[in-house]
Amino acid sequence: MRESNSAPVVRWLLVLSATLAVGAAPARTQQVSVVSLDSPAPLVTVRVMVRAGSAHDPEGLEGLAYLTARMLIEGSFGDPRAPVTKERLAEITRPWGQGAMPTVQVGKETTTFSMTVPREVLPRYVAQIFRPMFTQPLFEARELDRLRAETLTTLRSNLRLEQIELVGLVTLDNVLHAGTSYAHPVATERGAEAITREALQRFYVTYYRPEHLVLGVSTREEAVVAPLREALAGAGTSAVPPLERRPLEPPPAVQGREVVLVALPNAIATGLHAGFPLTINRRHPDYWPLYVANVWFGTHRDSFSYLYDQFRALRGYNYGDYSYIEHFENRPFALFPPTGYPRRYQYFSIWIRPVQHDYAVHLLKALTWELEHFVRTGLSEEQCALAKNKARVLYLSLAETTERLLGYRLEDAFYGLVPGYLESYLEQIDAVRCEQVNAAIRRHLQAANLKYVIVTDDEVAPKLAEAIAANQPARGKDPAEYQIEVREENGQKLYLVPEAKRALLERDAVWAHYWLDIPRDRIRIVPAERLFVTAALP
Amino acid sequence: MKAPRQPVARIRGWKYNAKKAPGAGKGVRPPRQKPARPDRGGARLALVAMVLGAVLAIGVAPALLAQAKSAAPKKVFPYSIHKRTLANGLDVVVIETPEFKNVLSFNTLVLAGSRNEVEPGKSGLAHLFEHILFRHRWKSQENGYEEAISRLGAHNNAWTWFDVTFYHPLTFTANLEGRSEDLPGLLALEADRFSRLDFTEKIFRTEAGAVLGEYRRNASFPSLKLEERLTALLFPHHPYGHTTLGYYEDVLDMPNEYAAAVAFYETYYRPNNCVLVIAGDVRAEEMFAKIEPYYRDWQPKPVPPILATGSPPKTEQREHVPWNADVAPLVWVAYRMPAHKTGSVETAVGQLLPELLVSPAAPLYRKLRFEKQTVNALGFEEGTQGYESFDPRVLILSAQLYKEKYAERGQAYFDEVIADILAGVEELKQFSRRKDARALLETLKSKYRYDFLAAMSSPANIAQTFAWYYRFERDPEVFEKLLASVERLTPRDIDQFARRQFVPEHRVVLTLAYEAGARP
Repeated sequence: MRESNSAPVVRWLLVLSATLAVGAAPARTQQVSVVSLDSPAPLVTVRVMVRAGSAHDPEGLEGLAYLTARMLIEGSFGDPRAPVTKERLAEITRPWGQGAMPTVQVGKETTTFSMTVPREVLPRYVAQIFRPMFTQPLFEARELDRLRAETLTTLRSNLRLEQIELVGLVTLDNVLHAGTSYAHPVATERGAEAITREALQRFYVTYYRPEHLVLGVSTREEAVVAPLREALAGAGTSAVPPLERRPLEPPPAVQGREVVLVALPNAIATGLHAGFPLTINRRHPDYWPLYVANVWFGTHRDSFSYLYDQFRALRGYNYGDYSYIEHFENRPFALFPPTGYPRRYQYFSIWIRPVQHDYAVHLLKALTWELEHFVRTGLSEEQCALAKNKARVLYLSLAETTERLLGYRLEDAFYGLVPGYLESYLEQIDAVRCEQVNAAIRRHLQAANLKYVIVTDDEVAPKLAEAIAANQPARGKDPAEYQIEVREENGQKLYLVPEAKRALLERDAVWAHYWLDIPRDRIRIVPAERLFVTAALP
Repeated sequence: MKAPRQPVARIRGWKYNAKKAPGAGKGVRPPRQKPARPDRGGARLALVAMVLGAVLAIGVAPALLAQAKSAAPKKVFPYSIHKRTLANGLDVVVIETPEFKNVLSFNTLVLAGSRNEVEPGKSGLAHLFEHILFRHRWKSQENGYEEAISRLGAHNNAWTWFDVTFYHPLTFTANLEGRSEDLPGLLALEADRFSRLDFTEKIFRTEAGAVLGEYRRNASFPSLKLEERLTALLFPHHPYGHTTLGYYEDVLDMPNEYAAAVAFYETYYRPNNCVLVIAGDVRAEEMFAKIEPYYRDWQPKPVPPILATGSPPKTEQREHVPWNADVAPLVWVAYRMPAHKTGSVETAVGQLLPELLVSPAAPLYRKLRFEKQTVNALGFEEGTQGYESFDPRVLILSAQLYKEKYAERGQAYFDEVIADILAGVEELKQFSRRKDARALLETLKSKYRYDFLAAMSSPANIAQTFAWYYRFERDPEVFEKLLASVERLTPRDIDQFARRQFVPEHRVVLTLAYEAGARP
């Protein structure tokens, strides 16, 4: 299946450059592409997408894309004798509002700078900030040291030891892409330590050249767009030699089931993750049917969907349970997918938020059985209709603000989507037929080849590994916890199960007796403090 | 298959939820203050900026602000606002934002909140009513309204605050009108539930139970306890003396208050006491024509005024609250504030108070958070919404302290933080004597204007912010008047405001700390 589907992937990469010319300035080499909206708002939203992200970090220098981006803003820029330091930058932008201070997001394949600028100060903004920031970065060494130290702290304490949910999500992303340029988070310890000022400059000359930039502006007015576009024309020039461009390989296919157990000190609950690489992204004709299927199965942070209903609403195991057909950055904190993280290689994943340690094996079986069952049965016409209706409503949130509209336009440029994602969203949803949904489920989803990541307590982890490998029945909640009356009769427990709760208990039994068939040698325990040291899993 | 509606979702307006659910605060209160950007050390940057700000402002800022000022356009808000008042007194305001294609933000503002709960023993009814409105029996069917909304496809939510209750469904413009008898449009559904609410005593009792659950859940937040004490101490003479959620005893007794609830609805859910604010991909004239037939039969009725029953306290009050969970110690310094009046100097100064006192660039914030490191968070507990109210309400400076330092120093630690906060507030009385006062004030005005505009990023945000301010004088030009009043401020206005408002008799100081076995 993988081989047959890799062709479209390659093809859309070629199409990319051609389609970008739509809505852009006349094609000329070394020209910045432009996408725009038509907003009359007095504040102009400006984004610059660099077609390079952490997947372009050279091996051993993981964190280079991230630190280069941060250093563009905070590492001083402009005339070296009177540089715009980060302090000066804050000072200049303050009267123009919070949004005038540039921010940046770094994804696998893109780096996106954002700022919101009052229309009437735009010429000054371009001259004082926008142009020098992109064309004359100074990469001051002391700022690099500070940012490096902050990055290491984030990796060592915040991410590894405090963010139980995020560490699981990041680790799943990493293990699914093991051995490829996608395999590391935004930085690794060794990578961040090894990055020099020269490396930043080399990354900058390689990837910040005009032909790799896409400018997004919330207005089409040429008077606004032209100075921004022209300001970027001088980007990416410096005396240092460029880097060798890192090739981006597709993730390896998952064979069978395997588990990575991340052992955290003092984890009070266990988080469960599972996934496998998908061979499609937004450009594929199966994207929309699969999107509708996933809305039904596991919409993020929504009580509408099946997983949420089964695990949280009916059984009260945790705060929520979701599935995804695209990478979704910052899941623990975002209600809707943030824009700015497009990827050519996507993956399917399931996220069971932390549950009591005792129920981890039961729910691992449950999520696997449910995925298998979902693939086997598909959706009924009625379920498809409900899911399509829900998908339509989601549009209102995805397209809510000018920032989001512009963010999707930039992603369209990345994917080469014409018409754009949001522009065609409602039509695409309406056009989906239920048989397409079921065909897409059968073609792209499966439960036989899965990578699991389980984040748990370091004392629980070895027992959990044994319990998974043991292939024994694993029970979840006791019927008494579902408010089912229990009587003691002759030393025996008698459950008075109302008809309405029978199905629930029957399903519990099915889950409990499902065989995961994962031998102990396919279960690895990784101490959290050894994660993210290098791109490879310890 | 579908889980029942989550009560959590419907009470976003209730501030404790908003705080606990990052990202969920969209519908909470007017989204005017832009949330801090999460991606990096913004606080640190801003700190340095401000330290420099004090030094550099003389040389740099005047040039900047001269530019900003001269460039300020006459009319700031970019969208056109249209107003029509129906014969029954219902105000309909339409804000055309055509760039958001096919989006319809259809909001109903009811000018009644917990301030209107004037009878003893009947607190919490406004919030309970917010729940009941979602249980409306459309076509006499149980859950008829919710099911019809679900078929139509809409995000539907609401919030309750002291003066108002705000209902804010969001859908597609194409869903305004129905497709058939079985598929009514949003217009029909909204008009029906507000003007002909159909609910039973059974529904009432169920929702009263849900509200009790909500109270219990929120009771674990120390800030609820502090809020209850604060309002009781500051407003013994006014219905602002209880929170939006109501007194616990009243919430317990709520299932027995069906008759009082019906009376609340009959009194306050009247067209002359409500405002429709519609924003999105719509045309004003077309909307007025469509809306009128649906709402014209809604009968108006004079709304009784809310009167104070005594006078406010005349001395400073202090209280310590022991708490039975090991939470971070808290200090609240609160001042009674003047009522909101768009265009007034007091209200304009109030708009800048967050920047003057608790932004990362404010001297008080810098001193506590960075220089002395005696607090790890400092802010306004209710934002500016705490005092943007019909009657005088409150500004709450809330500081979260360090457990370890409190364990070491106890009351002396509290005393130090309180003294520093009072000194920081006191400094505003001399604001005009700062060498950079004029320049700094101009910078703050400029930042205020642009942050205000930046918050207008979607039809729903625009409609909500508009409704929040429109209610005071019912003037469609309210945004321009508010912004203009801030533009007019002089440094001496800040001094005078601070001298009048920040006096001991307006003040309540609360502290809260863990104490094993305490009974909160």
